[in-house]
Amino acid sequence: MNCQSCREHMIEFADAKLDVETAEGVRAHIGACEECRSEFESFTLTLGALDAVPASPPTHRLRARVMGPIEAEKLTLRNQAAWASSIRAAEVSRPRRRLPWMAYVLQAAGVCALVALGFILGERTATQRQIADLRARVDTVGQLVEQSVLQKRSTGDRLETVLTAASTGKPDERVIDGLINSLAFDPSVNVRLNALSALYGHADQEVVRAGVLACLPREANPLVQVSMIDFLVATKAREASPQLRKLASDEKANADVRDSARRAIDLL
Amino acid sequence: MPPAPEILVPALPSGNKWRQRHAVEHEAPLSDHELMLAVRDGELDCMGELFERHHGPLFGYLTKLTGNRTAAEDISQIVFQRMLKYRHTYRNEGKFTSWMYHLARRCATDHYRKASSAPIAVDPSDLAAHADEAHSADESASSRDDHALLQRALGRLDRDDREVLLLSRLQELSFAEVAEILECSVGAARVRAHRALRTLRDHYFKMQKEPLT
Repeated sequence: MNCQSCREHMIEFADAKLDVETAEGVRAHIGACEECRSEFESFTLTLGALDAVPASPPTHRLRARVMGPIEAEKLTLRNQAAWASSIRAAEVSRPRRRLPWMAYVLQAAGVCALVALGFILGERTATQRQIADLRARVDTVGQLVEQSVLQKRSTGDRLETVLTAASTGKPDERVIDGLINSLAFDPSVNVRLNALSALYGHADQEVVRAGVLACLPREANPLVQVSMIDFLVATKAREASPQLRKLASDEKANADVRDSARRAIDLL
Repeated sequence: MPPAPEILVPALPSGNKWRQRHAVEHEAPLSDHELMLAVRDGELDCMGELFERHHGPLFGYLTKLTGNRTAAEDISQIVFQRMLKYRHTYRNEGKFTSWMYHLARRCATDHYRKASSAPIAVDPSDLAAHADEAHSADESASSRDDHALLQRALGRLDRDDREVLLLSRLQELSFAEVAEILECSVGAARVRAHRALRTLRDHYFKMQKEPLT
């Protein structure tokens, strides 16, 4: 080991951070080279003085200033998790307007279902296994969607999760809620657009239409806004009319968004 | 047959599901890395424990780096806030302390950039409580106290030199990690630290020989 290499390793040697072989090389060099020995001694003194400088603790304000935002973030996460669930709860509790002959149709369907049940029972074992498999898959997808949206993984991960959810044939409530949450809260436009695209397949569910409608006033990106309006038109969501009228007359809104809202009102 | 001994799991705060789930699997305290992974996965309670473990050394490092307790406290706060904000960028590989000091470095750079364009607000109570630690305005009245001398010598180093030297003094960081934080090779980090130490030594020894003012 030469003088230069020895000196470059002196800090680690003083801190006993070197591997045995290198430490032995430094020790041997210092033993033989008076100049390096003198340098090492002066370094040791300086490092000792530097380490001995007392580090007094910060004031209590720091704790308060750090813990406050943590608590606020926890609250935000809880609120976001509850958001889509609240839409579903509101949809479930909303009274349905039924046609007068609907009760008879339902009764007839019930009778048919009972007859069909007899045939199905024969193949029950195989079907149950398939349903269990499907539920397990849907359950996994549901967890993925919830985690990726609420726990803010990378954009790529979140996008992948939304695409996985989109490819699920019959997703459960959690997958749908997760997609609505993505549409409402995800910071990436790409993820929000893909979430909306995934929701097209489930537009027959009232909660999906209600979710998209609830997301519309939150949305700031014109591209996503126009896509949402297209969604509401495609799904014939007449309940969107008041909100679309409001958007069409909003002077702060993007011109394309206003035009799109006007066209949607005509079509609906 | 005697009854099987009961496994005692320490009581944990309610709502801390991640820790409860892992308390059975881990007898030893969770590592920083495990805590940060939990934070990334949404268990924000673990952030409190990381704060308890690291705010002292981080504040000490920043105090020496900036020479200003108020600035060190402000930067420490921003570091923890950024950890929270960018928690989803924390990866499985790597080490928590490297990541934390990497963030600290960026926050300190931002601080210096802002400070160069705006006056720094100083809390008067800090000046009263820690007057002995200030090493700018009252240097002329300094004593020969070793700590004060060393602080003054440290203040005379370039910021880059001070940074590499102070990072190398953190016991939890190897030179490879210091190099990673500084975004340079290990060899370059060693050379820079050596030069910084030599400069500090020269200032320190020179000041020791200076007559009392």
